[in-house]
Amino acid sequence: MTQTAPSREPTRAPERGVALPEVPGPGETARRAWRWLRRMSTAIWLLFALAAASVVATFVPQEPVIPTTVESWRSGIEGPGTEVSAVFDALGLYDVYGSPWFAAIVVLLFVSLTGCLVPRWRAFLRDARRPPPRGRGLTALRQSTTLRTSLPPEEGLAVVEASLARRRYRRRRLAQEETASGLAQVAAERGRWREGGSLLFHASFYLLLVGIVVAQGFGFVGQVNVAEGQAFTDTRISYDVADPGRFFDLEDHAGFAVRLDAFDLAFFEDGTPERFVSEVTVLEDGEEVRVGEAVAVNERLEHAGMNLYQMRFGMAPRVEVRAGDSDLFADQVMLGQGEGNTWTGVAKVSAADPQIALEILLVPDFARDADGEPISAGPAPGDPRLFANLWVGDLGLERPVPATQFDRDGGQRVDAVELGEGESAALLGGALEVAFPELTMWSGFQVAHQPGRAILLAAGVLVLVGLVPSLYAYRRRIWAEARPVEGGSEVTVAGVALQRVEAFDDAYAELVEELADALDAQHPTSGEPGEEERQG
Amino acid sequence: MAELYDPQFGAASNALFNTALGAYLLAMVGYFFRMAFTKVAEGQTTATRAGRRIGVASTVIASVGVLAHTASIVTRGLAAERVPWANMYEYSSALSLLAVAIGLVVLQRRLGLGHLMGFVLALATTTMAIALMLYTDPGPIVPSLQSYWIRIHVTSAMVASAIFMVAFAATALYLVKDTAERRVAERSGQGFTGSTVGAASVTPGAEVAAGEGAALAEGEAGAAPGAGGDQPDDRLDGDAVEGAGYASPLEQRRVLTAWPFGVVPAAVVGPFTLVVYQAPVAAAVSAFVAAAIGLLSRWSVPHLPDAKTLDTLAYRTIAFGFPIWTFAIIAGAVWAEEAWGRFWGWDPKETGSFFTWVLYAAYLHARSTSGWRGRRAAWIGVVSFAALMVTYYVVNLFVVGLHSYAGV
Ligand code: HEM
Repeated sequence: MTQTAPSREPTRAPERGVALPEVPGPGETARRAWRWLRRMSTAIWLLFALAAASVVATFVPQEPVIPTTVESWRSGIEGPGTEVSAVFDALGLYDVYGSPWFAAIVVLLFVSLTGCLVPRWRAFLRDARRPPPRGRGLTALRQSTTLRTSLPPEEGLAVVEASLARRRYRRRRLAQEETASGLAQVAAERGRWREGGSLLFHASFYLLLVGIVVAQGFGFVGQVNVAEGQAFTDTRISYDVADPGRFFDLEDHAGFAVRLDAFDLAFFEDGTPERFVSEVTVLEDGEEVRVGEAVAVNERLEHAGMNLYQMRFGMAPRVEVRAGDSDLFADQVMLGQGEGNTWTGVAKVSAADPQIALEILLVPDFARDADGEPISAGPAPGDPRLFANLWVGDLGLERPVPATQFDRDGGQRVDAVELGEGESAALLGGALEVAFPELTMWSGFQVAHQPGRAILLAAGVLVLVGLVPSLYAYRRRIWAEARPVEGGSEVTVAGVALQRVEAFDDAYAELVEELADALDAQHPTSGEPGEEERQG
Repeated sequence: MAELYDPQFGAASNALFNTALGAYLLAMVGYFFRMAFTKVAEGQTTATRAGRRIGVASTVIASVGVLAHTASIVTRGLAAERVPWANMYEYSSALSLLAVAIGLVVLQRRLGLGHLMGFVLALATTTMAIALMLYTDPGPIVPSLQSYWIRIHVTSAMVASAIFMVAFAATALYLVKDTAERRVAERSGQGFTGSTVGAASVTPGAEVAAGEGAALAEGEAGAAPGAGGDQPDDRLDGDAVEGAGYASPLEQRRVLTAWPFGVVPAAVVGPFTLVVYQAPVAAAVSAFVAAAIGLLSRWSVPHLPDAKTLDTLAYRTIAFGFPIWTFAIIAGAVWAEEAWGRFWGWDPKETGSFFTWVLYAAYLHARSTSGWRGRRAAWIGVVSFAALMVTYYVVNLFVVGLHSYAGV
């Protein structure tokens, strides 16, 4: 606060005799903001903010992840109620990762990261080219030992250098004129990768960002459900849900078709699915190009840059509705999972007036419980039974409601029917005939185009490659000087460690022992501070 | 239909699990007794003969527990014919085994910090108790988990979690010990300099460290100009911690107010159990046990290694676990890409492991930032571990997401 910013007007306030608070000018403000962003504690606070955002996003349902739950929170069916929900909406809590404030945290983090990294990289690159620094006052260091040897100074130092080379120290030989003590010296250093790894680790976040931008911008994710025997094409409109990236255009779809030939399902005896596999054929321009390919969980199918993943599945009974000679409806009805191994859904038979809909409950393996109520004996199809309620009236079928819903208030339930596989029955005294010729399955695929995979993977690898040395490499320096004496020389070895000092103490002791042997030293004498006792 | 599991192996696994749990509990009591039979004076700890014997017996019992526990997990794998850590019971079981094993091998054997074993065992047995509440028979796993990635992703997450669990014991005990050391120093009238680690701040030893930093940078400009890049961040040397000149080590216990040690753990654990399992009795029992462990931590203060050692231990374990956790997340993203067609979907589980990761990263930053090192960093470590537990237990049990099929 004491430096004066150039942009401030110095004259007005004193004239009035009032001490105005010092208002920093824009340049000064920017400099202060930059300084603030470069501080490590700012980085810590930003990391806290990032964590807090994720905590919120864990416990508040996220629209891009589970839109249905968000819908029921909004409408108050679930969650804390509509008023709280409105606040959540205003704050963007239903889409934390798409909210402006989340973007702001990320941007600030990256600005802060840049502010930290630029000077560190510069210093690192400058220092990396520098040889290990010369040592001074070796006997004053905490780890310091003097060994007597019959070897002349140069040879004594060569022995030290060899030992340090084995320990992968970077070494440098200094002549007498170059040192403070006037003795020849070996200066050695290791652990540069601590800083280098840390820099690599932090820098890989930029790569990660690039990967995410590419994946989001040029990628595509779609979902589609198909019944056995049916096919879908890779065009935007045939997906039930499509989430294209900003730069993924309609023409980027390859337009191939995928036909679901069969869907195999096996269960364990407790009812959990053991395996489910879609058998598909890929067609291009009506030609079968890949026949009998399997798509299963953990086993995707790649075609023309698109990946096909097995996601959901369900039962799809074939249902036919006839009125006299005219077929009103003949299709596979894709049902959703109901309670206790049952499947439910709606066949929207006609959007004419009056509208007709069949509300369907499918029991894959029909049985009766102790009270005589129909239940399913298991999840696997055994003796499938289809129960249907016939609704007639203004059911809202012309409106774009979800496939499994219709407007019950506008119509009436006029009849009900129970059918086994292959059976048919008359409804409304013979006015309608409903048939259940066959039980088939449907399969739900996720179809994705994922560019940027290689970039993201590389970023992930670099994160780890940088992280490991940044945490486990330790910086140490060792110096040795040799003083010529009667019949040989005195070699003084000294070292310091920046991290894991106690481990260095052991390594140092080992080094000295090895040197004492190699130099055939008579009386190793330690420098004073190294003697200090350690307490365990 | 496939056979669900081999019931004989299943039964053997359960029996071995109970054996291990019993052994751990016994060993835990033993380790605490060993502490009681240890004389503490002027920062020196000496075990009496009885103490040594109990110590050896506890080690043997805990090791037998580890063997039984390992056998339990192996037989569980044989029963279900798959990796034996695919649901919450199995994961919790294997997690606690790893924590005990790390405690025995690293803390006790390598670092000679056997006094911490009682607390590691307390955490491990708590995890095993949770495992029992989540017990399910060794069933098969859903297709999405039938991948070799489960070995890579889940195993690395589990190993990292076990390391973090040990780190948590060190972090929490550091906070206790540091408080005690500070208060004793304040009361004995020694100037308290407000440095980051309590013990170091009242001793002249700290200057030795500073002097050495200078020596290292000697003859060159800026060894590592990064913020805090040059501080020795994990010294475990004793000379900085020569007893703070306190009259009696037992004073360290007296300066700590007792009730928070009982009330705080009980207030965390009791309601958690109540919410998760809806069983008042279980909640009361677990609250009681938590309070007992909390009070034990106060009681054991004089016997604990000094604050600086604990702080260093916490840092080194977290620094060791962090890359493994990072790897687990990356492996998870790769698996998600293979199985679901997206790397990252901000599914609650993904989000949870992400904020845990971010918090531990914040801890590592704090550990090398002046003004944050020491107690503040340690609190971040505590919060990070809480986040880890929330990510695993709360998210799995209460939040619906793609990972939910892993089930109980
Ligand atoms: C993108 C968010 C960030 C993440 C996830 C992250 C993560 C980490 C991790 C895990 C470490 C410990 C391992 C190591 O030493 O390399 C670390 C260290 C470090 N980070 Fe970050 N960081 C982030 C942002 C920043 C920012 C914005 C700054 C600058 C203010 C920064 C400065 C540092 C420094 C100086 C170290 C070295 C500390 C030491 O000497 O031990 N980081 N970071």
